[in-house]
Amino acid sequence: MNFAVILVVAAVISLVVILRLAVSRSLQIRNSAHLDTKIRPMDVNAFRNLVNPAEDEYLRRRLPSRDFRRVRRARLRAMAAYVQIAAENAALLVGFGETALASGDPKLADAARQLVNQALVLRRNSAVTLVKIYVAMAWPYSGLAAVRVIERYEQMSGSAMLLGRLQEPGAAVRLSRT
Amino acid sequence: MPAVLGIIVHDESTMLQAHSLLWHYLWVGPHILQLLLAVFMWRRGMGRLFPVFLSYLIFEAVEELTLYGLDVSPSVSGETFWRFFCFGLIVEGLIKLGVIGELFFCLLRPWSAVAKVGSRLISGIGAILVLSASLAAAFMVPDNNHWLISGSHILQQTFYIVECGLLMFLFCFAAYFRLPFGRQVFGIALGIGILSSEHLASWAMTASGALLDKRYLLDFLNLATYHVCVLVWFYYLLVPHKNSVRDVAPLPEHSLELWNRELERLLQ
Repeated sequence: MNFAVILVVAAVISLVVILRLAVSRSLQIRNSAHLDTKIRPMDVNAFRNLVNPAEDEYLRRRLPSRDFRRVRRARLRAMAAYVQIAAENAALLVGFGETALASGDPKLADAARQLVNQALVLRRNSAVTLVKIYVAMAWPYSGLAAVRVIERYEQMSGSAMLLGRLQEPGAAVRLSRT
Repeated sequence: MPAVLGIIVHDESTMLQAHSLLWHYLWVGPHILQLLLAVFMWRRGMGRLFPVFLSYLIFEAVEELTLYGLDVSPSVSGETFWRFFCFGLIVEGLIKLGVIGELFFCLLRPWSAVAKVGSRLISGIGAILVLSASLAAAFMVPDNNHWLISGSHILQQTFYIVECGLLMFLFCFAAYFRLPFGRQVFGIALGIGILSSEHLASWAMTASGALLDKRYLLDFLNLATYHVCVLVWFYYLLVPHKNSVRDVAPLPEHSLELWNRELERLLQ
C-alpha cells in the first residue's frame, strides 16, 4: 500500500510537470520576440581568469591551506554564476535560432542551425561543468577544466553574431561584455 | 484496459456503473475515434512520419474492441477474457515503448549536438526504470486470488512505471535544452504523457488492492482519460495549425565593432 501511495504521488507530480511544460512551451513561443531584453552580457575575460589553472596554482602556493580553500570556493561560486549565465544565454539563443529557422531564407536557416547546435553543446557542457564545480566546492584541491565552456561560448557568440548580421545587417546580438 | 469492469455488476442505475450507457460509450467510443484518426493519418501521409504511433492506434483500437466483445459476450469465460487481456497488454506495452522511442527520435533527429547524449541518457534511464519496475513487481502482494488477474494488474503497473518515467525524461530533456517539439510530436507526447501518468496512479491503486469496492470508479477514470487523450491527438494531428507569422526577434544594436572583431577571429 505504501508503494502504491508513492506511485500515485509520482504520477501526480509527473502529470503536473508535463502539463506545466506544455503551458510554458506555448508561453515560450509567444514570448520569443523579447530576446534582446533577456540576453545577459558576460565578461568572457573575467571568466577566463577564473578558470585559469595557473592562477589557482599561484594562489595554492601563496596562501595558507585554510585561506586557499576559502578563496577557491569563492572563485568556484563566481565560476558557477558565469556558467549559469552562459547556459541561460544558450537557451535563449536556441529559441532565437528556432525562430530564424522558420524564416524560409536558406542562408539564414543554415546560420540558425549552426547557432542552435552550438548553443545546445554549450548547454550540455554547462550542465556537466556545473556538476564539476559543485564537486570541486566540496573538494577545493581538485582540478577543474571549465575551459571548454569558454570555447563553446565564444563559438556560439560568433554564430549569433553571424546570424544577427545576416538577419539585420546593421545590428548584432551582444553576448560578451568585453 | 477496462477489463475488470466486465465482472462488476451493480444494482444502482447511475451512469457511473459497469454496463451503463456511459460505460459502453467510454469503452467503445474512443477506440472508434482512434480508428478514424488512424485512417485520417494514413490518408494525410502521416503514417510515414509516425509508423509506430499509427500501429499503436490500430492495435489498441482492435484490442479494446475485441476485449469489449469478449466482455459483453455471455459465452466467453472469464479466464479466456483475461488471457486475451494479458496478451494484448504485453503487445500494447511494447508498442507504446516503441512510440516513446519514435518521439525521442523525432525530437533529436534535427539536433546532432545532443542526439548522442540524449540516446545514451534515455537508454540508461530506461534500463534503471525497467529494473526498478521489475523489482517493485517482484515484491507486490497479489490483489486477487486468481494469478491471471493479479498478474495483469501488476504487469500494467510495471509498464506504466517505465512509460511514465521515460516520458517525464523526454519532457524534461526537451525543456532543459529548449528543444522544439513539432506540433504533431508534441500532441502525441502530451496525450501519451497524460495517459501514462493517470494510468500509473490508477493501476498502482488497483494492483495494491486499494478501493476494492469502488474499483469501477478507477475504470471510469481510465476510460475518460483515454477519451481525452484521443481528442488531444485529434486536435494536434488533424486540426491545422494557425500560421501566425513569427517575426524573428529584433537584436540589440551595440558592440558591433567587438562582434566584428570576434567574427574575424573565428573566421581566421
